[in-house]
Amino acid sequence: MPITSDRELKKGNAELLILALLEDQARHGYEIGKLIAERSEGVLRFHVASLYPLLYRLERRGWVKGEWESSGGRRRRYYRLTATGRKILAEQRSRWHAFAGAVNRIVEVRHA
Amino acid sequence: MPDWKKIVREKLGPLPLRNGRRDEVIEELAQQLESAYEEALAEGANEQEAVRRSLAQFEDWEKLRSQVFHSVEGTGLPVWEQNGFFAPRRVPVWVALALTLLLLAIPSFRQALGVLPVPGSDPTDWGPRVFPEKKLRDIEQSGDKEKYARALAFVALHSPREDDQRTIHAAEKAIALDPRLTWISAKVSHRTYADPGYDPHPWIERLKAWDPQNGFAYLLEADANVHGWESRRAGYGAANGSVRRELASEGPWRVSMEKAFTAPRMDFYSARQFALDRQVLREQGFDRPDVLLVGMWSQTMPDFAAMNFYVDTLLKDVGEKARESGRTDDALAAYESVARFGERLESASFYNWQLLSAAKCRKGAYQNMIPLLRSQGRTEQAAELESTLAALKETGVKRPSNVVEERSAHIVQLSGLSVYLLLVVTVAWLVALGTLRWTPNSIPGLDRLASILSVAPVLLLLSSLALFLGYYPYARSIAEYVSVEELQEGFGPFFMGVYGFPDLGAFTEVLPRVFWPSIWCALVAVVGACSLWLARRLRPIHPDEA
Repeated sequence: MPITSDRELKKGNAELLILALLEDQARHGYEIGKLIAERSEGVLRFHVASLYPLLYRLERRGWVKGEWESSGGRRRRYYRLTATGRKILAEQRSRWHAFAGAVNRIVEVRHA
Repeated sequence: MPDWKKIVREKLGPLPLRNGRRDEVIEELAQQLESAYEEALAEGANEQEAVRRSLAQFEDWEKLRSQVFHSVEGTGLPVWEQNGFFAPRRVPVWVALALTLLLLAIPSFRQALGVLPVPGSDPTDWGPRVFPEKKLRDIEQSGDKEKYARALAFVALHSPREDDQRTIHAAEKAIALDPRLTWISAKVSHRTYADPGYDPHPWIERLKAWDPQNGFAYLLEADANVHGWESRRAGYGAANGSVRRELASEGPWRVSMEKAFTAPRMDFYSARQFALDRQVLREQGFDRPDVLLVGMWSQTMPDFAAMNFYVDTLLKDVGEKARESGRTDDALAAYESVARFGERLESASFYNWQLLSAAKCRKGAYQNMIPLLRSQGRTEQAAELESTLAALKETGVKRPSNVVEERSAHIVQLSGLSVYLLLVVTVAWLVALGTLRWTPNSIPGLDRLASILSVAPVLLLLSSLALFLGYYPYARSIAEYVSVEELQEGFGPFFMGVYGFPDLGAFTEVLPRVFWPSIWCALVAVVGACSLWLARRLRPIHPDEA
């Protein structure tokens, strides 16, 4: 069942999702929203009304940096990770792995 | 293809971001809409459906506006840019303010505001509260100029001191213009006993000459003849018998009292003062029952304690001695004198304590008269007095139930307190709004404060309505009150309820005990709030603030 509730998505750490998507390359807002839906195979859908305020907040904190670039004859604002953003991503990812691992261990034991 | 930038600009409204960020945000959101629109077209949707799908991504533009501003600037949207229900850009707060101002145009509402206790004021201190020195001077000057005797009489009646030169001059001029106002001499003659050096006798003589049948002037004369007796009373250690004998030995006091007790009439001029106060107050624009009521409290009254001493003198000294020596008729005459005086006193009284004093006279007299009348074989008269005495005991002291009036008074006082507080808050809100309008971002936190205070005008309107509705049953023009008794019974209980709640005496007792604990609790709360704020700031990963 897809998780469409924005609140549930935020609980699952929306910042981590965005930082992870920007780890390898710069992306614009529309692309980020589409990628979240695609890579989660439709399980996660990001409400775009929350996506942009979140991007602006990450930018204000200095975790990402947005710049206008032209691509295919269209100007878009691309976001890329800053050094601080990479550090934060590493911390959040580590914490997520610890959390997911712990949950998995419990779930596996129960079903074993 | 729709002009997406134009659509976003219109739907987003004013967004006061710095350094051109507004245009960037609009362009970026327009790109998002355009991409979604193109995607919908590519999926086979017609143009109308594509536009609908694209716009459906942003359902609440006002929320988006607020979130974007907060995310970019790190602070809330300026109060002048907000579109919430209580925001100053919206109509409701200004309608609320306008309605509150409209309420001020209603005389009943103004009357309700006037009745409310002013902190530090004492309702018995009527002169300074309602008529400051300047106001009295103005009334006197206009009365002088227009040769208006009643205004001058009003000044004489309500000046704070009886021996004040203005009081005396105003009384002289009023009586000269209209001799029917000679009764105000009672006020000018009324001296405080502990402050000798002023001779009230000329005024009393004037009163006696003008109204010779009235016992009131003689009661005032008796008081004036022994002024200073209260200090002697303290010296006797409140031994009433000693004080009574001491007073009875004062010839001038006793003679005046005899005349007061035998005078055919008793009139404290309550009705005359009521009519004069009511008229002048209306002329001066003070159409307020509370002012009229409290004004009556300054009415001149003889010393009831001294009067009771004379009653005891007649009952115990004169009457008993005559009875013991077998002079029954003399004893009966003394008792009857007290009984008749009690009846006259009752007819002149309207306050409870006055009526009680009158009833006490009559009861004491009847109780002594009944056995004497029986001993003389006048059983019919004795039986008649017995039934009168029984009726007097039955009526006794009846305190009417004033639950409704007290409840109304509490509503009026609480809503009045809210009106005062919210008025201050609303003024602060208006000042903050004005400051932010002309010098935005000049004071840190002012926007947030103004945003929080935006609810004040609506609450002010609600409090004002509660005050108005709570007071409405008592809102009457003073012209509608035909007698001081009606005013006392119709408005008095409500008015006393307003001043009797909350019990400030109890409050001042409790306050010192709760003051420091309250301060400590507030301190702990502030430290706790600061710690929470600090802990939140220092967390390595911020939670989602959306």
